[in-house]
Order: sequence, then structure tokens, then C-alpha cells
Amino acid sequence: MLEVTDLSVRAGTFVLSQVSLKVLPSSCHVILGPTGSGKTLLMESVIGLRNPQTGKVILEGEDITCLPMEQRGLSYVPQDLALFPHMTVRQNILYPIRIRGGKQNFENGIVRELIDSLSIGNILDRSVKNLSGGERQRTALARAVASGCNYLVLDEPLSALHESLKTELWYLLKDLQKRYELAILMVTHDLEEAFFLGDVISVIIDGKLRQQGEKRDVYRYPHNEDVARFLGVGNLFHGRVDRINDDSLFVRCEELGDTLTLSTHWRKLAVKKNDDFMIGIRSEDVLVQTPGEFMSNTPNVIEGTVMEIFETGASLQVIIACGHRPEKVKLVMHRSASTGLNIVAGQKIVIHLPKENLFLVELA
Amino acid sequence: MTFKKISIACSFATFGLYAVLILSLFYFFRGERLLDTILSPRTLFSIRLSLGAATISTVFSVLIALPAAFALSRYEFPGKRAVDTMLELPMIVSPAALGAMLLIFFNNPLGLWIQDHGAQFVFTFYGIVLAQFVTICGVSTRLIKAAMDEIPVRYEAVARTLGASPGKAFLTITLPLSRRGIIAASILSWAKALGEFGATITIAGSMAMKTETLPIAIFMRLSSAEIEGTVILILILVSIGLSILYIVRLLSRGASYA
Repeated sequence: MLEVTDLSVRAGTFVLSQVSLKVLPSSCHVILGPTGSGKTLLMESVIGLRNPQTGKVILEGEDITCLPMEQRGLSYVPQDLALFPHMTVRQNILYPIRIRGGKQNFENGIVRELIDSLSIGNILDRSVKNLSGGERQRTALARAVASGCNYLVLDEPLSALHESLKTELWYLLKDLQKRYELAILMVTHDLEEAFFLGDVISVIIDGKLRQQGEKRDVYRYPHNEDVARFLGVGNLFHGRVDRINDDSLFVRCEELGDTLTLSTHWRKLAVKKNDDFMIGIRSEDVLVQTPGEFMSNTPNVIEGTVMEIFETGASLQVIIACGHRPEKVKLVMHRSASTGLNIVAGQKIVIHLPKENLFLVELA
Repeated sequence: MTFKKISIACSFATFGLYAVLILSLFYFFRGERLLDTILSPRTLFSIRLSLGAATISTVFSVLIALPAAFALSRYEFPGKRAVDTMLELPMIVSPAALGAMLLIFFNNPLGLWIQDHGAQFVFTFYGIVLAQFVTICGVSTRLIKAAMDEIPVRYEAVARTLGASPGKAFLTITLPLSRRGIIAASILSWAKALGEFGATITIAGSMAMKTETLPIAIFMRLSSAEIEGTVILILILVSIGLSILYIVRLLSRGASYA
């Protein structure tokens, strides 16, 4: 297991503070965060390129914080991959074996297998300067795995690829991870990539670890407003706790002109009456119908008039005037939420925010 | 006249200035004296002395400059700024002053002790090498550092996570990647050493067939109003210098790794 405890590191005026995380064997821990949040700084501290101010890096029980990079047992792939430009693909892949004085031939079991599984047998004698984006990524991964380290530290290695190639490499990376039982610590700002590859996700914003947990938990229940916004929760409304009973929480939401009922997810936060929070719901959980389609006792049903609609690929951004309130509310919903309905401006609709899908988020 | 035209005209004016200087040499050029002058024992000695001393001083200078440039390019250490500034000393102090500093040093107790117990530098071949070394060492370090600055640190970091020690990472990654820059820096340093005059004449004097390098030979012939011989020696020096610059240009046409 790779363990980082209370790691703080400074770069100029920027400080990455008190980050702790664990990467279990054969698992992938993804560090997610916007550009400039300190993700690369964390990676560089873990591999030993930077000295942390405080904290420890522990690998399989051994404190490696002060060990030189070559003795840490972590193989690093930076964002630009750093393929050695004066070498061919073959020389790049064999570099870790050559440098350790190992037998340098491709009959070496793991190398041969790597070449086959990454389908790079046909480019071995090409200079790395003449490779396509995908070939470069494959070569970098092959070189990292050929080092024999079971722990890979990947700093946004797929960020320069276009979407279809990126997806192909996700599968490849998963396959490599399974095949060689790799533990991966990976940085990305791509949400899809993080949730596809990660088992555990840490969200870092402005140099601080804001949330950490199983990917499903992080996705479904962001703890605070910054994380929720970064994770693409399109619908966030201010709310004040009105009352609490055994299985529900009632939050007054002035923006929607209604009191919303939440079922269980608010229990993760310490909540008391009159506390202010944000209420969130993901776009895919918003349901839309025409008036009269929901039963009258269904909670969280809001009537409104569509003012404007903006299409953004798979989702719709609908500007709604709720009831007789002058303020307009922006709701982001999945296109499928309105299947069967041809929503147009001026139309009266009913929005249902299922109570089990609503969650509370701490204010930023 | 547009800005573009003015700037291009200025660049041609600069070229023209030097071209006129070189072409004006041919006013006093006598073809029939070319072989005589080049093949005279004194000229051949000067050429050999210049090439030998420049080569030795360049080798020493690059040997010191390589690790020094790496340290300045890669590490933070106390006094780094002072070291970095001192590299420019040979550029801001005139060569004659640099030579005078060497001469004064060898008249101090430490310098005298070195001369008594080590090698004689004043008015000897070693003095020429030392004068050239002192003149080019800072320049070599500065040029090699610039070449190493071009190589992203990530390459070394990756090499080290793949198992290379700092020394192996330097030898297998940094050195080959900055090879062109190092060769270019070496050649430029060599050319500068070859043309070095002020410091050399100050510490080594101008003894014919002993410490008479090509630039000193030019000075000596000019002093004795032997213009035609001077012109031929200048042309030899210019030919060597321009050929070297051309080679450096070819070598510098490498890719950027940033």
C-alpha cells in the first residue's frame, strides 16, 4: 500500500496543505481537481522531485519520504510523458531494464507481453519523435510497467488525447492494472476519466483536500459547494433547515419557492434547525412532466413556466419561473428527463426532484 | 519607409560593416606571398601553438563547465547567484585587465609558491593556456548551462523513477540531449580561445617561436609595419573563425525539448 500522510508542500506562494491518502494494492486512486489546484505538486512530492514541508510518504510500511527517487519503487509518467527523444521506442521501453543492468532483450517475458498487450510491436524501431499521440501514451505506459514497479504515479497522461483515443486507453490502462496487479495514483481534471478509472477519488481544490471516498459516494454526495460545482452538479439551491424528523429533513428553498424534503443523505452532515446549506440534485435525477401527472402528495413537485431553453449536448438548461415568483431559476436536466415532452418556452411544466436524490452540501 | 524595411536595412548595415572590413583586407593582399607566409616556420609555429593552446584550454574549460553548468541549471544552493554573476567577469573585464590580474596573482605569495612548486606560468606556454582558460571558462559554463536549461527536468525525474541514479540520469539523458549545445559551446569557446590576445600577451608576452600565438603574431607583424603578412594572418584567423561559426550553426539546428 502507498500511503501519504499530512503532506504539505510549498511552491512559491502556493501551498498544498495536509493531504493524506492511501493507494491500496491493485487499485486506482484518482486525484481530481481543477487546473492549478496542486495536483502535480502532490505527484512531484510523492515521487521525490520536491521536498515536502511536512508529512510522510510510506510504501508498504517503509517511510520513503527522504529516499532518492530511484529507490522509492514508484514509476512516474508525467503529463507530457517525457519519452526520451534521443531514443527509439525499443530503447525507451528497455531503459529501466538497461539502467538496472538487466538482460536487454525482448524475449524477457514481461516486456514481450507488454509489447503485445499494448500493440506496439510495429513501432519499436521508430524514434519517439515520430509517434502519434496514442502511440506515445502506449510507449510511456510500457516503459513505466517495464520498470517492474507495482506502483505507478500518473500525472494526467491522457490529457492531450482526443476523446475516442482517450476512452480506448482507459480500457487499456484497466487491463494493464488487472494483468500486472498495479496500484495507480493518478491525477486528472477529467471527471469521466476519474470515475472510469478510479476506485477511490480525492478532490483537491486550491491546495486543499476537499473530499475523499469511494467514487460512487463522491459522485453522489459531494460534501461542499466547491466540490459539487467542480463535479458538475448543475442544480444547487440555497436552503435553510426548517425541521427534522426521523426519516426526513425539510429544507426551505426560497429560490424554488417551496420546502423540499430530503430522505437520508443529509445525515452525513451535522444538521440542525435554521442551518444554511446548499441543496443539490444531479441533472439526470430531475424529472419533468406536464401538470397533473404527479400525485398530489408527492413531495418536491414544483410547478413553473418555461422561460428559456438552452441545449448543451446531453443536457438541457431550462430557465423557469416558479409559481408567481419574479425570480427565474436555472435547472439543468438530462435530455431524457423530458422524453415525450416537447418543452417549449411559455409552457407550464411540473418538475419533480425525488427526495432520495436530493443531497445537502456545505456552503463554500 | 516601413519599420520592416528599416529593420532589414539595419541588419544588412551590420553585415556590411564586417564585410567591408574583411574585403578591405584584400587591398593589401598579395597572392604570391600567401604560401610563403603560411609555410614560414614562424607562422606554422604560431598556428600550431594557437591550435594546441586553444584545444587544451577548451578541454579543461569544458571539463569544469559541464558539472558547474549542471549544478547551476538544476540545483538551488547558497551562493548560486554570486557564482552565476561571476561567470560574466571575463565579459565585463577587458582581456588585458584579466591578464594583468593573472600577472599580479603570480606575484603574490600564493602565486609565487605555485610557480616555485608547480608550473611556471609567466611567459610560458602554460601561461597562454591559463589566459585562454580564464577567458573562456565563464563563457563555456554560461553556454552549456543554456543548453541544459533547454532540457526539461522531467526527463531526469522519469529516468530516476525508472531506476537511474543521478549520475546515470545525467550520463544517459541530460548529456546526450544537450550534446549539440555542449559541442556548440565547446567550439565557440575554442574559437574565442583561438582569437584571445589581451590576457595572453599580458601574462605570456610576445616571444617569437615561444609564446607567439596567431593574434600575437598579427600584432607583431603590424607593429613592424609588415601589412601584407598581417593581412594573410588575419585571413587565416577569419577563415578558421567563420568555418567554426558555420559548424556551430549547423549543430544548433536541433529540436527543442521543452
